[in-house]
Amino acid sequence: MSTVEQDLERGNVPVFDREPLLQVRNLDHTFTVKGAGGVKGGTVHAVSNVSFDIMSGEGLGLVGETGSGKSTLARSIIQAPRPQSGEVHFRGQDLMRLSRRMLKRARRDMQMVYQDPFGSLNPKWRLEDIVAEPLIGHDTMSGRDRDVLVGELLDRVGLDPSIYRKRRPMEISGGQCQRVAIARAIALNPALVICDEAVSSLDVLIRAQVLNLFEELRRDLKLSYLFIAHDLATVKQISDRLAVMHLGQVCEIGPANRIYEAPRHPYTRALLDSVPGLDQETGRARRPVPLQGEPPSPLDPPSGCRFRTRCPRAQEKCATVEPVLTDTGDGDGHQVACHFPLDPPDPSAAPATVPRTRSTRDAPSADPS
Amino acid sequence: MNLNQTVNQAGSDRATEAVPRTGGATSVVPGEAVLTVSDLRVTFTGGGRTVHAVTGLSYQLQKGRTLAIIGESGSGKSVSARALMGLLPPSAQVSGSARIGDDELIGLPDREMRKLRGTDVAMVFQDPARSLNPTMKIGLQIIEAVRAHQKMERQQAVERGIELLRLVRLPAPERRFHEYPHQLSGGMRQRVMIAIALAADPQVLIADEATSALDVTTQAQIMELLLDLQERLGMAVVLISHDIGLAASYADDVLVMYAGRAVEFGPTEMLFGNVQMPYTQALLGSVPQLTTPPHTLLPVIPGQPPDLRALPQGCPFRPRCASATEQCANTPELTEHQPGHWWACWHPIGDSDGGTK
Amino acid sequence: MAAVDSAAEFEVLTTEAPAKSSRWAKWRRRLPILLPAGAVAIVVLACFVAPLVFPIPTPTGGDVLTSRLPVGSPDHPLGTDLNGNDILSRLLYGGRASLIVAVAVNLLGLFLGGTLGALSGYLSGKFDTVIMRLLDVLIAFPALVLTLAVAQALGPSQRNTILALSFFAIPAFARIARAATLRLNELPFMAAAQLSGTSGWRMLFRHIAPNIGPQLLSFMLLGMGIIIVTEGALSFLGLGIPRPAPSWGNMIFEASQTMSATPIQVVWPSMALLVTVLAFNLLGENLRSRWSSR
Repeated sequence: MSTVEQDLERGNVPVFDREPLLQVRNLDHTFTVKGAGGVKGGTVHAVSNVSFDIMSGEGLGLVGETGSGKSTLARSIIQAPRPQSGEVHFRGQDLMRLSRRMLKRARRDMQMVYQDPFGSLNPKWRLEDIVAEPLIGHDTMSGRDRDVLVGELLDRVGLDPSIYRKRRPMEISGGQCQRVAIARAIALNPALVICDEAVSSLDVLIRAQVLNLFEELRRDLKLSYLFIAHDLATVKQISDRLAVMHLGQVCEIGPANRIYEAPRHPYTRALLDSVPGLDQETGRARRPVPLQGEPPSPLDPPSGCRFRTRCPRAQEKCATVEPVLTDTGDGDGHQVACHFPLDPPDPSAAPATVPRTRSTRDAPSADPS
Repeated sequence: MNLNQTVNQAGSDRATEAVPRTGGATSVVPGEAVLTVSDLRVTFTGGGRTVHAVTGLSYQLQKGRTLAIIGESGSGKSVSARALMGLLPPSAQVSGSARIGDDELIGLPDREMRKLRGTDVAMVFQDPARSLNPTMKIGLQIIEAVRAHQKMERQQAVERGIELLRLVRLPAPERRFHEYPHQLSGGMRQRVMIAIALAADPQVLIADEATSALDVTTQAQIMELLLDLQERLGMAVVLISHDIGLAASYADDVLVMYAGRAVEFGPTEMLFGNVQMPYTQALLGSVPQLTTPPHTLLPVIPGQPPDLRALPQGCPFRPRCASATEQCANTPELTEHQPGHWWACWHPIGDSDGGTK
Repeated sequence: MAAVDSAAEFEVLTTEAPAKSSRWAKWRRRLPILLPAGAVAIVVLACFVAPLVFPIPTPTGGDVLTSRLPVGSPDHPLGTDLNGNDILSRLLYGGRASLIVAVAVNLLGLFLGGTLGALSGYLSGKFDTVIMRLLDVLIAFPALVLTLAVAQALGPSQRNTILALSFFAIPAFARIARAATLRLNELPFMAAAQLSGTSGWRMLFRHIAPNIGPQLLSFMLLGMGIIIVTEGALSFLGLGIPRPAPSWGNMIFEASQTMSATPIQVVWPSMALLVTVLAFNLLGENLRSRWSSR
């Protein structure tokens, strides 16, 4: 069954029929790093030549290690700060060319949820004022309407307004802070919500609650997401499509189902293999297979393919020729930037993610009699 | 009878297994216990309030085994480890016992404790960036650790330091020896921290969220290293983590903590293959899986983590538990219900009659 | 930050939570703030209210016939000075002058310097560079030399003393405000506010001001001490509040002229200066540590 059919089955509109909500083209963002004594230390290409689309109502998961540029990419999209070059079309408008005033208007429809739950909220404000902030900043709503809406929003994210309205961030938990940040993000009924590691600092149980909240909001409000995380498991729930970033570049992008089942880029494979897993039925663990080598410095990326220093498949060509994103020929927009991509799955073979049992030295305890 | 046999067999097969003990009732499997913790209690007082961070924690850890202690923030997993290391602030009151060999770790004066830190028990922390002194070359920091426990000539200490860096598989150890922490990646810094922890050949190594701040790829590397070192040096490892998948992948035994108490314990596969405590079940269910289709809601339990200043009477998980009854107002003891598998719950999962046991 | 419990977390849990703590413990925790606050209040009351309530002679225009009376004289509990002025009266009115100058300078510093610094930190870019270089120039001068030069140019008067001292206070406040704002800029709620379409003025007054306010306020209390001392120095050198009007600096100067005959007269203004400065410093320092622990 093709992914398009699966999409149809889930009630989603086929991708090619829809207008892209966000189109990012050849985005570049570089930083100058200061060395000792304020001397120029080098240039970091935090985001280099990144292009992707987000359809309306779609969730795009974006994963990568520390220093892959995923957070910089998020900030570049909302133009805070503006990236060096490229195009960011949001609802047909190129944000890169908009004046400050027009940009403010365009940002109405794109909101962000950040990693640090406490830092996301002004510690001196009451929760109701925090949620009302975008309503005041962007709208001319009457105070009474605003109060009603704030109550509804708090309720929507699972916080009883009669209890939480007047509280301040220090009086609630990290998970609740994140709910307030979400309420603020959806207050203006945006089209796109960018979540930058939005659940990474939460405890597992609370993380699951917040992930579910994101999913429910997607269904109810037809939100689109750019969902950034450092591991593939976290973005699984929200992702229709998946983009994997490595050292400022997108190395693989495509339908999430396909990439999780059969990644074509060795880096994606390595990321998948690094997630410690546990089969909930049998209690068997899937032990991670470590990737060898150190991540290269973003100040001095390797020539050619930036992953080649850690890649088990690297050959001479990888050091000289930089691979570009190329269609895999699956016909569903799956693209990979690799000279020697992994083989597509053989339908007759077993699924790619076989649960691996623990090493043999644990055999005695692995066999509860 | 059959059951008894199984118990014995299981006991002798897994002579090196960690076993918890409840309140004094000992059912310790004879074996080479390196670390014995019994009835460990930690409270913090201040402002007229008492926080019960750890309540009656008991377990035993055998040579060469890995015990994972898992739980959320405030479960007491980290505090209990710091209590063993004597690293709690003065506002903490610690009682109970923790023995490594003949050494009692609890209640030791600071000077005595300093001697045991490193030789008996060593710890690797979450944040390698903040655990290293940024103004000192890493070589010096390792030498300091080496010479803290052994009188040694400088040249000898340098050699030992480089040997330790080689042991933790730091690339180009001779060069790195003369570098500063900021010149190393997060993973390399954590390797250095492990080298420092191993400087005096500890019997027990506590890894307190040692890989939580690292990328998944680096995390797998560091975990492999830890396990390899454990095998080679014969240490016992206590793995403290909030990541249930990580614990399941690397630990021999798992201890689940909630609100300062041990609520479930057993050999890893036995425990996860047959989860009894609803809290463990909730933890397990809340982990996003790579295999579930997108847009599937995760099974979640409502509520917030417990407020340690005002715990409910009885089972601390009661307010969030779907199968809680009036009986749960009495605290269930951690008991060995099945051979090797301990839990503290009146209504374990799969107990269909929902009644008393 | 990933989902970890630590001992520090419990520390936080126990240090706040005043709900059920005993009354005594509550007072004891507040003592480091209440004690210096009480001392400041006493000084302020003595200088501003006492002369209105009690019949105290005027601080100037004393009779030469009653000059240099000893301590404990009738009507003059602390005696009189060379010009026959009541020392207690001069002490209180002098304190009034010193406090007015200190408060005025610090308020100027707080509002002008604070706004400038916060704006500079928030806007960054060219505005920041220009403002900061200007302030750097002011800071580069030794403080006392700068104030002396300004005071000399403007001539001695209470208003000019305030202006001169402000040259020294404003850059200091601006630096503190800018550094605090830069730290604040790193927090995501500032970015979120930007996405929320919050205007620049709202950012400044609703987001930045309440968060850097406590820090500036405690700095201001520390500054009170410094300004009182500097004003004393200026007056001592004859460039502050013009004599014969009293100020603690003037009194120390005058008493020092007759030090060999009546050494006790130096002690009174010096003690008043010491106690006041100490109280302000302690209050500022203790408030700062209280606020930063939150």
